[in-house]
Amino acid sequence: MVTELGGLETVLLEEDKPPVVYLSPSDWMRQNLFNNWYNALITFLVGASFVAAVVLTLRWLLAADFQIVRTNLRVFMIGQFPRDELWRPWVSGFLLAGAGGLVSGAMWRNALEDAEEKGLPYPPHSWTDLLRRFWAIIVILLFFVSFARTLPPYIGLLLIFVTIYITREAGMRSKPALRIRVPFIGALLLLVSFIALAGTSGLGASSIGAALGWWTSFEIGRRTETPTLQHTVTRWISAVVVGVVAWIAVRAIGFEGFGWDDWGGIHLTLFVTVVGVSIGLPFGILLALGRQSKLRIIKSATVVFIEFVRGVPLITLLLFSTFLLPLFIPIDITIPGPLTRAMIVITAFSAAYIAEIVRGGLQAVPLGQTEAAQASGMSVGAIQRLIVLPQALRAVIPAMVGQFISLFKDTSLLSVIGLLEFLQVSAVANAQTEFLGQGLVSVTYPFVALGYWAFAYTMSKESRRIEAKLGVGVR
Amino acid sequence: MTDVNVNADATEILGSGDIIIELDGVDKFFGDFQALRNINMRVGEQEVVVVIGPSGSGKSTLIRCINRLERHDRGRIVVDGVELSDDIRHIQEIRRETGMVFQSFNLFPHISVLDNITLAPRQVRNLPKAEAEALATDLLERVKIPDQARKYPGQLSGGQQQRVAIARALAMKPKVMLFDEPTSALDPEMIKEVLDTMKDLALEGMTMICVTHEMGFAREVADRVVFMADGEIVEVGPPEHFFTNPQEDRTKLFLSQIL
Repeated sequence: MVTELGGLETVLLEEDKPPVVYLSPSDWMRQNLFNNWYNALITFLVGASFVAAVVLTLRWLLAADFQIVRTNLRVFMIGQFPRDELWRPWVSGFLLAGAGGLVSGAMWRNALEDAEEKGLPYPPHSWTDLLRRFWAIIVILLFFVSFARTLPPYIGLLLIFVTIYITREAGMRSKPALRIRVPFIGALLLLVSFIALAGTSGLGASSIGAALGWWTSFEIGRRTETPTLQHTVTRWISAVVVGVVAWIAVRAIGFEGFGWDDWGGIHLTLFVTVVGVSIGLPFGILLALGRQSKLRIIKSATVVFIEFVRGVPLITLLLFSTFLLPLFIPIDITIPGPLTRAMIVITAFSAAYIAEIVRGGLQAVPLGQTEAAQASGMSVGAIQRLIVLPQALRAVIPAMVGQFISLFKDTSLLSVIGLLEFLQVSAVANAQTEFLGQGLVSVTYPFVALGYWAFAYTMSKESRRIEAKLGVGVR
Repeated sequence: MTDVNVNADATEILGSGDIIIELDGVDKFFGDFQALRNINMRVGEQEVVVVIGPSGSGKSTLIRCINRLERHDRGRIVVDGVELSDDIRHIQEIRRETGMVFQSFNLFPHISVLDNITLAPRQVRNLPKAEAEALATDLLERVKIPDQARKYPGQLSGGQQQRVAIARALAMKPKVMLFDEPTSALDPEMIKEVLDTMKDLALEGMTMICVTHEMGFAREVADRVVFMADGEIVEVGPPEHFFTNPQEDRTKLFLSQIL
């Protein structure tokens, strides 16, 4: 091995390495597993438990009748979504796969070019690497599909994988001009996938209007680095006009769908998690910053909110929003449906926890960082955005992903307010006359557990990867 | 006693340039502890003032008051014609004109050396990216580390990091540079490279206030040396004065301890 240290080349020779002693298996066992009586005992107990676990699992697997999963597969996946509207989730899935593939491919290419510009090494793209990262989810999706009794789900899943492959390749090969616009294209695909399920609601139309307006503002904004007043005015007016026109246009289409109050299964579980994370994160950061504010009102308001939400069990908040809130509100005022209210509760809950995690990160950033930025005349906003938050957030990635995983599992509490999320399907299936009283939870619970595990495990693995990636150059 | 008053006057600037920094009866308290007592001081254009004194004497507090990293409690501070007040616009105006170099470098570890230098010019002075990068490249050449632009601060030695910090402060084209013990956190072999950079800067006519224990630097570069103890200015004079003929007991004691 040749290393370069301060321009001085050192060659590490084979004979310079410390000697490695190889033991025969029996010697190794004697030294490491049975070197005294209590280690021998521990080895025996652990070995016996392992054997017992394998035997019990095999016995369960041989005796298990998966008929209940086969019958209810659709309910496990998407809840009570109407059977003859199944094309909607599939279209939605394809659009999501396309958005994910395109955005991730473009991001990969951006990271590569960034590293090349900085002269840093960057590993070549490899699909096997991607399989290793997401194997748990891929395996579990194949496992789910294996319970299908017809051919279409197999073909559908295969085509989704193909879509991801093609769009990711397209993203990786795209030109820089396309790549800077990919976030907008991705966001629009995401919104359209949502509309494919839910139809053209007011929320969908406003979101599409906002995305297109933002895109317009981006396109005009990037034409100059030193904007004039006229330029800025044109930019904002065009953005608003495009946004409003898009909103009117989408509303005019009048495409019917099934709002999220009809959703269920693992689809609902994942949807609520994504909403809780992606909206809870920015709000959590704002709350953490608010808690540090010098303005007494902002500070006490955030402290009261955070401590209230953290001090009350999630289940209480969910029950309150579902059953008690309507009692306090006059009948003639329409309030959002139960799932919408539950999602607001879950988002607020995750924001409060994220705020406390981010606060820890903010405290870990040395005061000297702020002072150096202040001394150069940077504004308070720019200091937080460019200096403090990037360092604070990096420091708390493990805790943050821990919170995301626990939010993902906490969505199972939605069952207490009568929503058909992933875990609740198991209870519903076991209450069907066909399967009632046969103790089939021993089949459905492991099935559900595997589903949760695959996603939670992937999240935790990805968090370690992001951490390692962001650690580049930082000691 | 009359002798002492003459020596403790830090308001007499050297040379004929304009006065850039003026401190007038400045007091600073940390709770009950008085960190600065009635500081009167002026710094003229192109002057290099070295502030020395035992730790806890208020030297760092003094220069941190000049760019409002600390808020002074009494008196007046005027930098380049702008008086420091609670008005954030005045504070920002003064911070734009004063560069600061810290004892612990305080480089931003999450962005590259180049980005460290271009960040403030782009954010505060709205300099276009290409211009800012050209400026940064020039500055890195000036501090003699032109080939480290793409690295991260953590990959550089202490001396290199401090020189990047100097380049970062210079990128704002300040009228005054404040140095807060810039070599105290460095290994001995790296002190020289940082002092040389500072020396070059002084020769180019930069107005500087340096808090430092490097008496060799003071002797070679300083126009005036200010000795502080217990939050007040005790003795002021050209460097030779301190090495040949210090007047005050506290000055003599301090110099005997560090020389």
